[in-house]
Amino acid sequence: MIAALLPTGTTPLLAAAVASGTVSLWLLLPQAPGSDWLGHRRGALGLVLGVAALAALAWAGRRLGGLGDEAVFQIVSLVAIVGGAATVVTRSPVYSAIWFALALAGVAGVLLVLGAQFLGVATIVVYAGAILVMFLFVLMLAQPSGLAPYDRVSNEPLLAAIAGGVLLALLTTSIGRLSADPPACCTIPSRADAVATAPVGPAAADALAADPLARLGRELFGRHLLAVEAAGLLLLVALVGAIAVVSRGEVAEATRKGAS
Amino acid sequence: MFPALLHDALTVGAVLFVLGLVGILTRRNLIVMFLSAELMLQGISVSLVAWSRYHGDFGGQALVVFVLTVAACEAAVALVFVLQAFSRTGRLDAAAWQSLRDAEVPRRIDRELPATDAAPPVWPQLTPAGVRPRRDETAEPEREHV
Amino acid sequence: MPPNLPATLLVLVPLLPLLAGLVTIVFGRRLGPRVHMPAVIGIGAATGAALLLLVAAGGTGGGTHEAPRPAETTVTLWQWATIDRAIDPQPGSPAALPGIAVGSTDSGTRPLSLAVTLRLDPLTATMLLVITSIGLLVAIYSIGYMHDDPDQPRFFALVSMFVFSMAMLVASSSFLLVYVFWEAVGACSYLLIGFWFRRPEAARAAKKAFLVNRVGDFGLAIAVFLLWLTYGTLDFHDVRATDGTILPGILGQTRLADAGGFVGGTVGTLICLCLLLAASGKSAQVPLHVWLPDAMEGPTPASALIHAATMVTAGVYLVARCAPLFVVSPGALAVVSLVGATTALVAALIGTVQTDLKRVLAYSTISQLGYMFASLGTGTLAGFTAAIFHLVTHACFKALLFLGAGSVMHAMGGVIDMRRFGGLRAVMPITAATFFVGSLALAGVPPFAGFFSKDEILAALHARGWPDAHGGVHHDHEPAAGAPAAVRTARLVPSTAAPVVPAAWRSTAPAATPQAVGPLDWLAGAGLYRGLFWMSLITAGLTAFYTFRAVFMTFTGPLRLPPEAAHAHGGHGPDDAHGTHGHGQRGHESHGHASAPNAHGHTAAAVDAAASHESPPVMTRPLVILAGASLVIGWLLFATHGLGGFLAATPSLTAPAVVATRVPPAFHLDLAIQGTLAAAIGIALAAIGHLGRRSDAPSLERFLGPLQTLFARRFFFDEIEHAVVVRPLESLAWFAALVDRVVIDGLVDAVARVPAALGDIVRRGQAGVLQRYSLAGVAGVLAVLLALAWQLWQ
Repeated sequence: MIAALLPTGTTPLLAAAVASGTVSLWLLLPQAPGSDWLGHRRGALGLVLGVAALAALAWAGRRLGGLGDEAVFQIVSLVAIVGGAATVVTRSPVYSAIWFALALAGVAGVLLVLGAQFLGVATIVVYAGAILVMFLFVLMLAQPSGLAPYDRVSNEPLLAAIAGGVLLALLTTSIGRLSADPPACCTIPSRADAVATAPVGPAAADALAADPLARLGRELFGRHLLAVEAAGLLLLVALVGAIAVVSRGEVAEATRKGAS
Repeated sequence: MFPALLHDALTVGAVLFVLGLVGILTRRNLIVMFLSAELMLQGISVSLVAWSRYHGDFGGQALVVFVLTVAACEAAVALVFVLQAFSRTGRLDAAAWQSLRDAEVPRRIDRELPATDAAPPVWPQLTPAGVRPRRDETAEPEREHV
Repeated sequence: MPPNLPATLLVLVPLLPLLAGLVTIVFGRRLGPRVHMPAVIGIGAATGAALLLLVAAGGTGGGTHEAPRPAETTVTLWQWATIDRAIDPQPGSPAALPGIAVGSTDSGTRPLSLAVTLRLDPLTATMLLVITSIGLLVAIYSIGYMHDDPDQPRFFALVSMFVFSMAMLVASSSFLLVYVFWEAVGACSYLLIGFWFRRPEAARAAKKAFLVNRVGDFGLAIAVFLLWLTYGTLDFHDVRATDGTILPGILGQTRLADAGGFVGGTVGTLICLCLLLAASGKSAQVPLHVWLPDAMEGPTPASALIHAATMVTAGVYLVARCAPLFVVSPGALAVVSLVGATTALVAALIGTVQTDLKRVLAYSTISQLGYMFASLGTGTLAGFTAAIFHLVTHACFKALLFLGAGSVMHAMGGVIDMRRFGGLRAVMPITAATFFVGSLALAGVPPFAGFFSKDEILAALHARGWPDAHGGVHHDHEPAAGAPAAVRTARLVPSTAAPVVPAAWRSTAPAATPQAVGPLDWLAGAGLYRGLFWMSLITAGLTAFYTFRAVFMTFTGPLRLPPEAAHAHGGHGPDDAHGTHGHGQRGHESHGHASAPNAHGHTAAAVDAAASHESPPVMTRPLVILAGASLVIGWLLFATHGLGGFLAATPSLTAPAVVATRVPPAFHLDLAIQGTLAAAIGIALAAIGHLGRRSDAPSLERFLGPLQTLFARRFFFDEIEHAVVVRPLESLAWFAALVDRVVIDGLVDAVARVPAALGDIVRRGQAGVLQRYSLAGVAGVLAVLLALAWQLWQ
């Protein structure tokens, strides 16, 4: 009955997951205490709803069959989503950054499951190893002691949560509708089917079949050579620009101090 | 049968993206806003890789490489600006900058927040070994909370 | 004379003053003391061209004295605008004359073709000569009069532009062009009245003149519209189309030759009354005369040129030009006469008590213009020519009188009140002598100019008042002097030369004409013209009285000078800028009078300063020339019958209805005696009242009692018009302003408040908080996505 009201491409379970996830997000986002009747119970309620949403999501994925059944994918995606949610809702920015590192680990796992070994490793190395450390350094420099007031409140949490929920509903619905009319030319079998029907030889279509790292390298330095060069240039420019801005700021600071 | 792997990976990507979006919209700490933005990029990366695998085309993965690159650049430049902003206001608050509001709209001022009721955490202390170390009283006390 | 020469000259007459005006405007400041040169040279050359044109116009006249052929030359300069198929004349209407192809376009429609065409005929040539010659003399006079005025370039530019506009007005061969230059002379008049615009009186007078003229211009506009609807063209002359057909002009020879070419009846009367309204405005006829006395605030030379000699005669010219239109509407003619004679009498009465010398002359001008209108209203050839004759002579002697008054004013340091000076004959002999000559001409004393022209006007009126005096109806040209019935009216008016009139005039309704009966035709009876004749005769006496009252007050009696005359160097008024009279301090009264302070608290000036008071030669020479002209021109033109015969070849005056009234020229001794008697009585009364007395002494006016108040307050015309016209308009304007402020502005404000209110709602979102903007952006993206999903997933 409920399913009849929902648009094609979604299921009651998915809808329930999205809804409860939205409410959970709203409850968990940092808000000034005493802003509503929930008081201190909002954290616990948000956690319960969040767990329920994750369970429903996992259940919905499980019903899809295929690789979703694989426990590895379930686990890494769960880690990624939980890490991401915690990143958003944690008050302390330092803890946020650490939760983000966890989310990165989950994402790297998802990428590995999807057969992108290089990217999975690169995400860990570049993000967790470099970018996140940079964030932490900045936090050390700039974060005042204790929780700042602006860390303890959010900007329009209800509206933002509703907007996120609507967007998620739209996205999951449209993802669900993909199966309604699969383009025959482009269907790629699942891993089990791929292994079963894999053609033998160098012309194997499966991305996992042969030497993906080398093929990615060929792709990057073949079709995307110019873009790679441009990316290198971009890195250089960003480096120079960051140094220039910092030094100019220091000069301005010195001038200000000298003037006063 | 349509590959369920694509569905699941796209769903994970969508969830990450939406989480990052909500974070950007709600959190006022500039650092956390950037973390949320990175989270959105992660969601996009997952979707791109999923489609890449679906089509058997490495273009998607190549694009993720560029996403990584640009994210690194963005982080470098943006953090510099965050530092600059911090040096001017002493805060990492996105709402500290309200000069673009209409002349007749009053400035938004946060409500006074009650003090945190949590007791100050107890930090581990090294047991003295040998001579008790001299403690510099003028030095900045360590933070009770991060 | 080469065949193309008249056309060239005709273009040159307006062109040269125009060029002079433009040169003065552009280079005025650089010319320095020679700023008058362009105007004098330009107008002078135009005068020469006008003289030659007079010969050319006479030369092309042809025809016999009894049956003059119409003489006209037209020069089309360029085509202004053409509108195809502008009007579709009804068959049989005057717009489609029988027997003439009505146009080159299909289905009988006719284009509205506006060409800039100049015409030359005797009437135009006469007017051109008057305009340019008076303009030249005034320009020369102004060299001295305006000597020290800092705004000389503006003055001479305006005078040049006025001469150009006026020449174009009388030379245009289209009602539309006449309208254009009618407005142009009005503009020049406005600018010259307000020449000293820093004085509030001058600015007010200029505004008044402009607004009152506007009423008349409105009449001209209506007349032009009606003429277009009725006749289907606006040209005076016939236009030959490219395919050889002739488009008959309103006053063209084709229409003139056709007995039924002109529309009478209601429409015709309406057209004529609208034209009369226009003429009344420009020529200061009752009740639109109120602007002219105030117009004396302008520089005196401008008053002499525009408000005495030329522009104010534009109305006379217009009626004379449209004579064929008027003669088919006897009612309108009667109104013209009535307006003219009334104006003449009323203005003369007002003039008898004025103490301002220029205002006396202004009312005299109105009165004389009234004479001309009364003459035009007779509708006879004699009447029309007499009006133009009087126009010419009046231009001479009135310009002379005005320039003389200017000379007096110049010497008196801007004082023009006749009670404040006297006995100036001793101080300003040339001015006094020439002024005296002009006064004699104005008063109609033989053999001066005014006598002859006024005599002809009286004769024309007399002919309409007593048409049966000689029995019989004469359409031919047999000598009327021998008519047996002359003795029947001898006891009333001894008449030796009885005019001959059509039968129509003997009854109150002109039944003999084939035209429809107009609504006012009952007016046009002989009784009316009898009354008008007597009014004119009385006016003649009054004219002589007030003229010589002014002469005696100003130039005779004990010498008295206002203190301003002594301080003429100090710049008392705008008119006294000339600083060359060094007559010294105040002196004592001459003639042995007691030196008691007079009513104005000053003693008279020293007589030994007298010689130095006369104006410089550059001012007195034009006076002498004009005095000479005033002396001879009447006699000359009358004795040779030059003007009458010359004008008779004007196409407008060759309409059959006009020609039918033709009489041989004659000298009307009886009328001359009456007129001279009236003038003599007036002069005698003035002499009794004022000759030899102090000019500020009470005189005959005290016998008038309450009438004096009536005259001095100008019959309360200003007050009546203020109450009848200005007050209601002011109330209306006040009401309109109220509506504008409350209703219109309220609506506009209300419309403006809607976006403001909406903006007040939306601006709350402009908090400057980054994340609110982001949230709004996300909401917009979501809205678009939802709309897309709604579209795609249906």
